[in-house]
Amino acid sequence: MMLRSFRDLALFFERDLRIASTYRAPVVFELIEALFGAALFYYAAHFVDSPQLRAALPQGSTYFAYSLVGFIFFDYLYASLDAFDRSIEEARDSGTLEPLLVTQVPLPVILVGSAIYPFLVTTLRIAVYLAWGVMLFHFPVSAANWPAALVVLLATLLAFSGLGIFSAAYLLIFKRGNPAKWFFVGISSLVGGMLFPVSILPDWLQFVAHLNPVTYSLDAMRAALLAGARLRQIAPAVAMLLLFALILLPASIWSFSWALRRTKITGTLSHR
Amino acid sequence: MSDPAITIDSLEKYFPPARSGWRAYVQAFSASTVPALCGVSFDVQRGEAVALLGTNGAGKSTLLRILATLLLPTNGRARIAGFDPSRDPSAVRRHLGYHAGSDLGFYPRLTTRENLRFFGRLNHLPDSYLKTRIPALAEQFDVRDSLDRQVRTLSSGTVQRLSLLRALLHQPEVLLLDEPTRSLDALAARDFRRFLKAEILGRQGTTLIFASHTLPEIEYLADRIALLDDGRLIDFDSPAELKARANAATLEDAFSRLTGHGAHLLEEPAS
Repeated sequence: MMLRSFRDLALFFERDLRIASTYRAPVVFELIEALFGAALFYYAAHFVDSPQLRAALPQGSTYFAYSLVGFIFFDYLYASLDAFDRSIEEARDSGTLEPLLVTQVPLPVILVGSAIYPFLVTTLRIAVYLAWGVMLFHFPVSAANWPAALVVLLATLLAFSGLGIFSAAYLLIFKRGNPAKWFFVGISSLVGGMLFPVSILPDWLQFVAHLNPVTYSLDAMRAALLAGARLRQIAPAVAMLLLFALILLPASIWSFSWALRRTKITGTLSHR
Repeated sequence: MSDPAITIDSLEKYFPPARSGWRAYVQAFSASTVPALCGVSFDVQRGEAVALLGTNGAGKSTLLRILATLLLPTNGRARIAGFDPSRDPSAVRRHLGYHAGSDLGFYPRLTTRENLRFFGRLNHLPDSYLKTRIPALAEQFDVRDSLDRQVRTLSSGTVQRLSLLRALLHQPEVLLLDEPTRSLDALAARDFRRFLKAEILGRQGTTLIFASHTLPEIEYLADRIALLDDGRLIDFDSPAELKARANAATLEDAFSRLTGHGAHLLEEPAS
């Protein structure tokens, strides 16, 4: 049963890979975009400096490295919020949703399978950003603890996926883009610690920041990548991410099942 | 007599009223008050072909979509191959092929073969089987030349044939077809009917329920007709019995007399 589900998930990845391979130019554009993005942060970082900021950065780190990690891992938030509902939206608009739903693969597998490719592309984009940063702009990787970074990445994916599945449930019911999603992205870009440490925010915004999984993800990722933190040091942040996952994943799967059942009652499953 | 392949028992379906503007946002939470099916009951025997006949809005597609596990009924029950579509949808899907009558439903940038392989694999068909099954069906449906072309380059009639082909890939026991020849030209429609009659019904003994507005198609394929009007089952019998009961020479006249509608209402408006 488990093996079959993995095979089904692989089919969706293969489908998306084949579709993507029919568009060749975007790969080149992604590489160039990542180069410009890394350069932007490198030069902007030269003009951003303050004693307060330096004190808040991980030891031995620069603002360029700090902001680049924040920016590229924020991509994961976008990917996880976008991947699930986009897969539903694309299937609905192309008319493939109903043919998929009468196959023997349950909708949760369709949902997760369709998210694998976007997550992998996001991971590759992050790798390209980091590679440009290392090759051209002295991004420090000598101290990085890669296994710890991988643990943070996995915990982040689990925590963020719950948000994405909520977003897909919203789309099933309301049919159009999720305003809560963009509100969450907006709030997270302000208080999640993408471009500056959460510690420089007013107390009440710091409180909001600590209710947001993005804050823990970025803190732990920077600690692993820039300061070479050991697993024990990032364990509290990883535990918080897993706690978010423990709450968000079952709740989001329940809400998605409820939304699917509701659309089968109202006959609006394939409505746009 | 063996158990019927399909049992439909007092099936009712109500939808929320259609809303527009900002009220459309709360449609999913509105009470279901608009009737689409009102206590429909009939059985379909194994290997039998049953046509759903009625005007637009009679409830044909709603009934097919409930059987295909895409809608939940408000009341009543259905069973396909012994399984309830509402309670055990995955078991039902194992025995079911469904064609929605649409020329959508494929990935336009994948080739026909890639699309069919993808959906076949989602029905847990092995690659080795699909390697021979896809070309064999493609030959039957006259789409062999399209197998290695991207679906976006194909005509809508060809895509509809692919959709029918997809419904047959896993050799389902029960086939649900919603206006299967709607986008086909006259020759393709004739060939498809012959294929259904000889191969799917005759040789494989598949049970078929299909919705159609084409009366000659219904007379050619159907053992029995479920005559629906405003969500109600008006009559359920063989074409010959329906004509005899309505004292009509043609199925068209029988439809008019039994439903009180002119048969012109069966014709789809030109698109």
